[in-house]
Amino acid sequence: MEIRIVGRYVWRYGWAALAVCAVFMLLALSYEAVQDARSAIMILLQNWALAAITFYLLIFLVLLIFRFALLILYSFLDHLESLYKERDKSAVLYREESSLPMISLVVPAYNEGPVIQAAMRALLALDYPNYEIIVVDDGSTDDTYEKAMVVASESVALEVRVVTKRNGGKADALNTGMTLARGEFVLNMDGDTKLSPNALRACIRRFENPKVGAVAGNVKVINRENIWTRIQALEYVEGLAMARKAQSFGRVVNIIPGPLGMFRKSVLQQVGGYDRDTFAEDCDLTLKLLMRGWHIEYEPTAIAWVETPSHLLDLLQQRYRWTRGILQATRKHSHALWQPRKAGINCYILWYMMFEGVMWPISNIVGNLFFIFVGLQYDVTFVLFFWWLQLMLLDVVAAAYCVVIEEEEPSLIFFAIVFRLFYINIIDISKVFATIEEWRGKAMTWGKLEREGKL
Amino acid sequence: MDLIGILAYVILFTTIGTMVIGVVAYLAFKLRDKRKPGNKRSDETMDVGGPLEPVFLERYVPGVTTDHAVQPATDDR
Repeated sequence: MEIRIVGRYVWRYGWAALAVCAVFMLLALSYEAVQDARSAIMILLQNWALAAITFYLLIFLVLLIFRFALLILYSFLDHLESLYKERDKSAVLYREESSLPMISLVVPAYNEGPVIQAAMRALLALDYPNYEIIVVDDGSTDDTYEKAMVVASESVALEVRVVTKRNGGKADALNTGMTLARGEFVLNMDGDTKLSPNALRACIRRFENPKVGAVAGNVKVINRENIWTRIQALEYVEGLAMARKAQSFGRVVNIIPGPLGMFRKSVLQQVGGYDRDTFAEDCDLTLKLLMRGWHIEYEPTAIAWVETPSHLLDLLQQRYRWTRGILQATRKHSHALWQPRKAGINCYILWYMMFEGVMWPISNIVGNLFFIFVGLQYDVTFVLFFWWLQLMLLDVVAAAYCVVIEEEEPSLIFFAIVFRLFYINIIDISKVFATIEEWRGKAMTWGKLEREGKL
Repeated sequence: MDLIGILAYVILFTTIGTMVIGVVAYLAFKLRDKRKPGNKRSDETMDVGGPLEPVFLERYVPGVTTDHAVQPATDDR
């Protein structure tokens, strides 16, 4: 058993080292080509328009390298801190079973028929002595309510309440659930989520610090069945988990994910629960908590397994909603953007969100279009390759780091190349369109994803 | 042509291709979104009684049990 675990570690570390070495070798190989083509590269400074765009992309690249370096550094520091805490388990406040506080699990469900029973059964098997489950059927048009009732009636030891209400959106369903909650802590999740058995214990430990108002869980992809879902698995680990881990070091996680977020009930009531004026209610609520000075941490061992879109159009629909929702939430709290002294760290969090949500996708598209134009116009196609190579290098290094830290499948590192080659261009185009439409104030709908029941 | 030259062309054509796919896919998603009957909310009762009021604005006082907390859900069957 021990040998197998060590073997798995060696295998994972080996692949990560190999991938990073391969990319650096490619970079070294291309160095000679850059030396040969130094005069051709001067084309980029030939006139003021080309020079201006080149300069902009250079700034973007510097910011991006800075972003990756900071995230890796801070997430590693957070990792070390958690290892240190693990050593000092005797200081755990809730160590006695009888002293563990009650947690209310709120599960909003709208047309989650194919997955609701699996999600609820997983909740019944959680390793925690004191919790209740509240399923809020948000006016589903399928058999979600009936299916949830079947599982509720099976439960003897644990209280499971299923309530149904007229359709009012996810925020409304969560607010209803929280109103009914009897626990001191509330865990909000999605109807299509499967929690790891240790999720409640892992999260509740974080509340030993009275300044912590909420804890974000670790969201992972369960349906790794095709190229789209495998790339998303990497994206969730690299783009979301790594960022949350880094932010957690400063106690300023900027999005408590919908699939797993635990809150003090008093804090939720203090901020008035979820608002219904954005399409990213989780991001909006997180920002409200941060603006009130609450600390928000990330718990990597509390895992929420989710089903991600396995078709391109569904994926675009999800990203379109996320982009517009995050922009709406950022705009709601935009006063903090311009008040660094008053808003403190929240100011930087909002600028970081603007960078990730607006500048990054736009710069990717601008960079690609610019280098395609320059490459074809002046016959210097290799500049696009160098641009791509630098971005890919950052992706592969981050992917290798995440695979090691998150103990993920090494094959995900390979998908960092596919991510940069195909995926991100397609996604970024939708994000840019979503940004334009949000800026123009175009109406939008929630766009419920069809579930395939992979839980 | 050397390796870097070949890779440069591969990246060039892939980038052009994926950007075209990106635009087409976005248009397809918008078209599907427009045609989807699900966009019209199917719950006919949702607009009855006017706009929904926030249900979670009651201030929490530690130690005091509110009516909400002890009352079983009316829809709990």
